[in-house]
Amino acid sequence: MKVVVGQGSCGIATGAKKTSNEFERIVAEKNLTNVVIDKTGCIGTCYLEPIVDVYNEEGALEARYVKCTPDKVAEIVDEHLIGGKPVEKYVIPTEDEAFLSQQQRIVLRNCGKINPEKIEEYLAVGGYEAARKVITSMTPDQVIEEIKVSGLRGRGGAGFPTWFKWNAIKSNKGAQKYMVCNADEGDPGAFMDRSVLEGDPHSLLEGMIIGGFAAGATEGIIYCRAEYPLAIARLEIAMAQAREKGYLGKNLFGTDFSFDIRIKAGAGAFVCGEETALIASLEGERGMPRLKPPFPAAKGYWKLPTNINNVETYANVAWIIANGGQAFADRGAEKSKGSKVFALAGKIKKGGLVEVPMGMTLREVIYNIGGGIKNDKEFKAVQMGGPSGGCIPAQLIDTPVTYEDINKTGAIVGSGGMIVMDEDTCMVDMARFFLDFTRKESCGKCNYCRIGTKRMLEILERITKGEGKDGDIELLEELAGKIKDGAMCGLGQTAPNPVLTTIRYFRNEYEDHIYNHKCTAKSCKALIHYEITDDCKGCGKCARNCPVNAITGEKKQVHKIDPNVCIKCGKCEDNCAFGAVKRV
Amino acid sequence: MNKFRLNIDGKEVYGLPGQTILEVCRENDIFIPTLCYDERTEIYGACGLCMVEWEGSPKLWKACATEIAPNMVIRTNTKRVFESRKTNLELLLSNHKGDCRPPCMLACPAGTDCQGYVGLIANGQYEEAIKLIRDNIPLPGAIGRVCPHPCEKACRRGLVDEPIAIANLKRFAADTDEFGEDPFVPECEPDTGKNVAVIGGGPYGISMAYFLRQMGHDVTIYEAMPKLGGMLRYGIPEYRLPKEVLDEEIAVLEKMGITMVTNTKIGEDISFEAIKRDFDAVCVGIGAWVSTGVRCKGEDADGVIGGIDFLRKVVRNEKIDLGKNVAIVGGGNTAMDACRTAVRLGADKVYNIYRRTKDEMPADMIEIEEAEEEGVIFLNLTNPLEIISDENGHCRQMVLQVMELGEPDASGRRAPVPVEGKTETIDVDTVILAIGQRVNAEGIDGVELTRKGGIVYDKDTFMTAIPGVFAGGDCGNDKISIAVESIGDAKKSCLVVDAYLRGEEIKYEPNYYVTKKDVTPANSSMQKREKTTSLRLYSAMMKSRQSKKQTAVWNADVKTTLNVSSSAMQICMM
Repeated sequence: MKVVVGQGSCGIATGAKKTSNEFERIVAEKNLTNVVIDKTGCIGTCYLEPIVDVYNEEGALEARYVKCTPDKVAEIVDEHLIGGKPVEKYVIPTEDEAFLSQQQRIVLRNCGKINPEKIEEYLAVGGYEAARKVITSMTPDQVIEEIKVSGLRGRGGAGFPTWFKWNAIKSNKGAQKYMVCNADEGDPGAFMDRSVLEGDPHSLLEGMIIGGFAAGATEGIIYCRAEYPLAIARLEIAMAQAREKGYLGKNLFGTDFSFDIRIKAGAGAFVCGEETALIASLEGERGMPRLKPPFPAAKGYWKLPTNINNVETYANVAWIIANGGQAFADRGAEKSKGSKVFALAGKIKKGGLVEVPMGMTLREVIYNIGGGIKNDKEFKAVQMGGPSGGCIPAQLIDTPVTYEDINKTGAIVGSGGMIVMDEDTCMVDMARFFLDFTRKESCGKCNYCRIGTKRMLEILERITKGEGKDGDIELLEELAGKIKDGAMCGLGQTAPNPVLTTIRYFRNEYEDHIYNHKCTAKSCKALIHYEITDDCKGCGKCARNCPVNAITGEKKQVHKIDPNVCIKCGKCEDNCAFGAVKRV
Repeated sequence: MNKFRLNIDGKEVYGLPGQTILEVCRENDIFIPTLCYDERTEIYGACGLCMVEWEGSPKLWKACATEIAPNMVIRTNTKRVFESRKTNLELLLSNHKGDCRPPCMLACPAGTDCQGYVGLIANGQYEEAIKLIRDNIPLPGAIGRVCPHPCEKACRRGLVDEPIAIANLKRFAADTDEFGEDPFVPECEPDTGKNVAVIGGGPYGISMAYFLRQMGHDVTIYEAMPKLGGMLRYGIPEYRLPKEVLDEEIAVLEKMGITMVTNTKIGEDISFEAIKRDFDAVCVGIGAWVSTGVRCKGEDADGVIGGIDFLRKVVRNEKIDLGKNVAIVGGGNTAMDACRTAVRLGADKVYNIYRRTKDEMPADMIEIEEAEEEGVIFLNLTNPLEIISDENGHCRQMVLQVMELGEPDASGRRAPVPVEGKTETIDVDTVILAIGQRVNAEGIDGVELTRKGGIVYDKDTFMTAIPGVFAGGDCGNDKISIAVESIGDAKKSCLVVDAYLRGEEIKYEPNYYVTKKDVTPANSSMQKREKTTSLRLYSAMMKSRQSKKQTAVWNADVKTTLNVSSSAMQICMM
């Protein structure tokens, strides 16, 4: 039997290592020689970690245990591993099964199934067969044609056709060409790439090898943020194993084609996700974008033809070659083919990674897969595309997730972050949050981005403080338009998007802040205060939890909050068992 | 190589493949602004000012970085382009912390680069310093001595201990140059063939001649008095401004080739019509040479004289019988000059009559202090009520209304209010009224005059109602002020006059400068530092003296201007 403990960053964060150690300890103690303890990457249901899968001798999944803390291990060993009967109470509930069963996995095909540190497991599921097929039996043009048939578009954000990029670098002349993988996943709340790097690093390597063959590149570089230590460690292991097997290095599969990959750890600047800034960083320069053209396909790394794709894009490639471009194109929508991984986060019941065919509606993703909104509150909007994207309001929840349809709303598909917001989220504050992010991450090269975002942020800050002025909304719109027009790179050009979309769909909230000094969602601290209603039973819990002793009251009497002392931390509301504390 | 044809702002132009839009525009004299483009470096493209529209593209393009394509249609002058550039500049300025130019320079009406020349003097680069000063000030030695130096009031060093001695340093640089071996004479452009008449040889007239001559125009100054200098010569006493200094500076004008016609009053000796006929442009700077009265009873008595009239008589060595008791009415520098001159002429008692207190006096504090040291009796909070004459019609007594300070008025100063029924009477033999001046524009026929008699000119073009006749300084627009203000008028308007002579019409447009507004004084312990700057300055000046002549001038006037005791001077000389 095989016990597989999910050990992506999410699993490890919830204590998967301890669970794994506990299994090892008890199994050794009980001398269960037929039990193997193994690990895998993230399966996607991050909210259920740690997850433990038990496979029988034939390799079939017998049971998936969720929230499997070390204290449950002994019981599982006794009843399941020894007794042969799964412990039903710890097994994944059927509604959570649905989270997985409604997905169609290409990129995440091996995540949560294989051990990312063992190349044999990747080979066992057909790994490196696509690379072998390409290198030994196809021409670069055929590869590019296959990718063209698949309709694969860049998964990093812009959605640029992958075949076109590959064709461009192939046609450009240069003493050396480079295949670069952008693994600088920087959007707050996005972790698609990390999951692939940690759970299935070989699929990325294979994609890069195939791309390298098509483009005529001999060197690949993975630009990965240093904040992903586990990903880098597993990539290093995978690369070493691949080199050992002859899938990386000189004369791959006995042909003339040589290709090797190295990792460059980046410091995690958001702007380094922009391709020219990424190249500057690769060259050891400060990560600042430059003007395009020339595009990297003509003059990239060391001014040589360079192709840059994101992790997820590469991870699709081997599957497309193995199954044919048409199989990929059969999935998804007309202009947005295949499937896309999304990171569900925010006020959603089941946060995690999902891979769905493109064209599925937001409602299906959020409600059917994500299980709806936490605490059954009302869905308000979803932020797509991170700080460069925009919000999509509840009335547009039936929008299909395709590049075109999402763009129409003012948001972008982006790298796939989906941050769900409920009625308690203030949209002005949300816009402020994202703009604060881009302002901090602006490299400072061009005026519009460096100063324009700062000025916009100042306006948003004063609005959330109730100090907004008549004309602020128009000023924001004007500045946003100019920044989009004038900023040098994608970071600046898209930075105003969260502001523009929130103004577009939630203008009333902005007006409420400015003219009525009211925060519609009752979230902006400067515009709310706390009150205790007559529902108060006088238990005193709120007073005990108040960090500034602002609450007074006799036992069994209705308590009172002194607004002059209150710091609006909200602890009283969180602690009241009777719902007697209200934000006004 | 085949050229591309493209259309920029409706103009058909050609460019080589690989050229950028900016390069092609520059070749074809189409202006595109940029702050970061330099053909010697790799294109940086960060300033975002060179934005242009490319027909058919929804976005704006950076001209410095966009290569041309065949049949491209480019617009560089659309509203969207201008708006983008404007917002970009506004953003830059919104983030601009600091001063575009130093506060001293901005405070100087003539825009003198004080920071620049103070720095050059500190480096020992005296020649460079005087050249820099002379960019704006044709009378640096005179101005360095008499200017009430608004620059020093603005000086940030004042927030730490005391302001830099900007005016004295200017005087130092000027003296070093002018009394040196080979005084600096500005170069003049080749002759333009145009001639200009300057009426009035005061600070404005001298400056106007100085600037226009440098531009290559032929300049003639007409002066009613025997010598040039205007109020600097005839309104400021010798002890404050030795006339030798003025002579040296006027000599520079002569070397530049400026013609000077003295003892010639326009309207009497030569008609204004003839001047207008004979010259391509006329600049009027006749100053304000009429003393105004106090409108009190008996002020037309003998022995009552205007402040500037009195000072002029002294300069011209005319006979003056002051008598024993002299009263000077007024609180400005002219009043102080008159008081101190009266002391020097041997009057027994010199009174200063001023209706507010010393704190409100417009005169420089050093002048007030020194007048007091010299024995001037300050009758503050008094105002002349009546001048009583003897049987010969000569003034003998003056009745003063006692005043007190009331509520602050519109100017922020506390307004003097008469104390009902309270008067004082003093014996006087001479009364000098130094309370104001006005313009007498007789002879300048055809110009429009203000209600007070000043010559009206356009604020932006400095031109009067007569085409080709310009005005500035004290005589125009009722703006009677300090000498450097007149120099500033000349500096501002010389470009307009030059343009007029070339057949163009332009306006004076001040530059836009960002200034820091949140500067606060340094902590108080710093402010209490000993005020030794003047001494140190004097010492430096003495060490670098160059000629006996120069030293002689210094010894004559340096004590009063620097207000250092003779013992201190001794120390410095060692």
